[in-house]
This record gives sequence, C-alpha cells and structure tokens, in this order.
Amino acid sequence: MSQVVRSREQLLSRAFVGLADTLVDDYDIIDLLDRLVGYSVELLAADAAGIMLVDSQRTLQVVASSHEDADVMELMQLEADQGPCVECFRTQAPVSVPDLIDAAGRWPVFAAAVESRGAYRSVHALPLRLRGEAIGAMNLFHRQPGTLPEADLVLGQALADVATIGILSERAARRGEVVTEQLQTALNNRVIIEQAKGVLAHRGNLSMNAAFDRLRRYARNRNALLSEVARQVVETDLASEVLATRVAPSNAVD
Amino acid sequence: MVRSVGVAEPGSVAQAMLAIAREVGGDHELAEQICQACVLGVDVDGAAISLLTASASRETLCASDATAELLEDLQFSLGEGACIEAALTGRPVLVPDLHHSTQTIRWPIFAAAVMEQSDVGALFALPLQWGAINLGVLDMYRTAPGSLNGAQLREAISAANMAALMFLGVRSDPGNGRWLDHSLHGRAEVHQATGMILVQLGVSATDALARMRAYAFVEQRLLSDVAHDVVSRRLCFTQDMA
Repeated sequence: MSQVVRSREQLLSRAFVGLADTLVDDYDIIDLLDRLVGYSVELLAADAAGIMLVDSQRTLQVVASSHEDADVMELMQLEADQGPCVECFRTQAPVSVPDLIDAAGRWPVFAAAVESRGAYRSVHALPLRLRGEAIGAMNLFHRQPGTLPEADLVLGQALADVATIGILSERAARRGEVVTEQLQTALNNRVIIEQAKGVLAHRGNLSMNAAFDRLRRYARNRNALLSEVARQVVETDLASEVLATRVAPSNAVD
Repeated sequence: MVRSVGVAEPGSVAQAMLAIAREVGGDHELAEQICQACVLGVDVDGAAISLLTASASRETLCASDATAELLEDLQFSLGEGACIEAALTGRPVLVPDLHHSTQTIRWPIFAAAVMEQSDVGALFALPLQWGAINLGVLDMYRTAPGSLNGAQLREAISAANMAALMFLGVRSDPGNGRWLDHSLHGRAEVHQATGMILVQLGVSATDALARMRAYAFVEQRLLSDVAHDVVSRRLCFTQDMA
C-alpha cells in the first residue's frame, strides 16, 4: 500500500485514466476486468471484488477476482445455483446483502457454504447489462457486515458499465455476434492465465496469488497483453524470465 | 454436483453431443458425429473438423461433404484462410458474406479460390481449445450468405467447446465419457494444476491435462479433487508415475 493516503477523487481520476489508457491500444478483456476489480476494491473500500461473465451456454463463469477468497465466494454460489451474485445476474438488478448471516432463509445452501468456507460477511452484486441482456455481474465483498452508501453503489455501477463498454469495444462491434465471440475469447484467456499461474507457482514455489502478481507485473511493465504473456509462459520458456524479473513490491492495486 | 448456473437448457446441438459421448469411441467417428450434429442443429450446409498441432501438421478428421473438404484442402495448401486464422489466433472467425472484401482482406487468395471453385457464401471457423491447448478447428459453411443469429452462434461455440473436451477426453480415457465431468467448467484449480503438472513432467499442456485425467480415472477420483491435491502440493506428478 502507498504511504500517501490518496483522496477518493485522486483515486477515481487515476482509475479512469488507467482504464482509458487500457482502452486505447489492443487489450485483453481479462486484463481490463482485472484492473476493474482492483480499482473497485480501492474506490469502494471493499475487501475483495470479482466479476462473473456468462458463457455460450448461458452459464456463469468466474473471470476476474482480486483475491482467491473472492473466487471461492463466487464458486460457492455457482455450486449452489443460488446467492446474491446469481440473483443479480438473473434479475439484472443490484442485490445488496449487508450481512450474510441473515441470508439463510433466502439462499439456504449458499448460506451454509458461507458459514463453513466463506471469508466475507457482506456482498453487493451489480449487474453487467448490455442492451437489456445480462452478460454477468460484478461483486463486492466485505469482511465486516454493513451497507454500502448509495453513492458507492452508483460508482460501482459506473465501473461495471465501464466493464461492459470495454467488452463491447475490444474490437469494433460490427455485428450482433461480436459479444458472444468476445465473451468466448475472454473466458478462454482466463483458462490460459490459470494454466500460466500453475506453471509459475510450481517453477517459483509461489502461491497462486503471488504467481498471478508476477504475471501481471511482467505484462504491465512491458505493455504486453496479459493473455499473450500467459500463453508464452505455458508454451515457451518465458516462465524463467518472468520469475527472474525482480520487482519491488508495488503499491498497485492487488 | 452442479457447478455452473444453467439459465437455459442445452440446445439441440449440445444434446446431440451428449448422446454422442455415451456411444462413440474413436476420434474420426467422434468428429463425424459432431459435424452431423452441427449441420442438423445450426443453420449451415456443411461442417469439417481438422486437428492442428504445434508441429504445423494437420489432419482433417471429418468433412461432411465435398465442399467442406475442399475448404479444408484449399486453406492447408494455400496456408491461409478462416480456419487457419482461427487456429492461430484462438478466436472465432465469422465471415457472414464471403463476397464482402473487407471480411476476407486477411486471406484474399483463399477467398478468391473459394469463390472460384465453390458456391460457398458464408464461413464460420471456431477454434477447438482449452486455454493454451489448441487442438484444431470446427469449420462450417453455408451457400447463402448471412450471419448466424445469437442462439445459433451460442450453439456453435458450445459445440466447439464440447468437441475440444471430447477430443481431450477420448485421448485419455477412451469410451468412458467422464470428460463431461462438470467440475471442468469454471474450476480454476484444474487449469492451475495443468500448469503445475506440465512443469513437473516437462510435457505440453495437452499432455499434462491428459495425464491428470488418466490418473483421476485410474484412481477413480474426480478430476477436480485430483487438481486440488496438485495445487495444494499434496500430489506431485513424476515421470515414473503410471
């Protein structure tokens, strides 16, 4: 973390400048979504954030998360086929759960899973919507119970909308099929990134979080596409170079 | 256990493929059935599946008719085309109108040859992939130009995804059909474990996944459980392991 406590305004402008930079060149949806969850954690004082997208079979997949614990929270909902993020996607409306302890009546299977394996107490889920169709959800997790202020929810939805715009404009949206195509590419890139995390984790004896951090920093330092670096880690010997690149602990979002 | 949220029933192609999984053994037969399911379930006239490997070798497993075969032959002899682009980029290549030059600008020679030698109007090439694992391409064509609608495209992409899984599964445990293990979907640990095993064994991602699947099969365990053990460093693959 940075020694300087930044004002929210500074953080916000940094986030949008960062996102605008990303959108200029060729970019990965996954990289964009990864930045977005990072900014969401920073701006909305969340402990973790995650994004789920729908695939070609209309099933939700976890594509980005600020922490493995957020992955777990989302996977538990996919397993139970219920929970705030799933409901947000289905209803295309925000779902706020200030305290998951009160959720047992609404989502009994998910609530039981949270009790045994969950790391967070509150969830705020915001829909990713496109022309009246839901394409996913962005989820904010807090370790302490509590309600997010209305202004935070508005900002969160704005960030979720940026994600949607980013998915749309990755290449010129010439045809209706582009969205399905982009989502497919994004989901496959996520698989490549997970495979690359495994390679780095084993080669460097790192945790998956630390492996992802190395991968991300290596790509960003070189302005390279995250998925392209990941592909080379899996297919060539780039792993040794990524692991050999020593970087000072960053104050970037993690 | 259901690990993903279904908001729609699998379409007709997916259902046809589920039936195939229970019946079919070899790669060629499998490819043939998948092509048939696509021709019946998606608005196309023909389909073909070619496997492409890193060594630039290729094998057309199946072409549903002579035109589909011609399309495969042309692009492999010319070294360019929608299918090759899909294989190289790992992205779907959708060409709703072959006579529209902005859509074919990346492979003009192939486009000209197709127009000269066939009455193909639209081409759709979908990569068969699993992360960094690229197996090949599912190619479809239609004589009438026009886009696939949203539902058809989703069907086609699902078919390509399932085909990739089926080819991977067929290679590791023939006839068993357990490649449909739902834990494969969205389970990051399976992909992470694939990455770890490829380092442990010094093999490709394809082989690493196959070895993990074979191990799970022999040990009669779920792939996701084996992956979890690998990621938590309780299980390490070695060269001399079965």
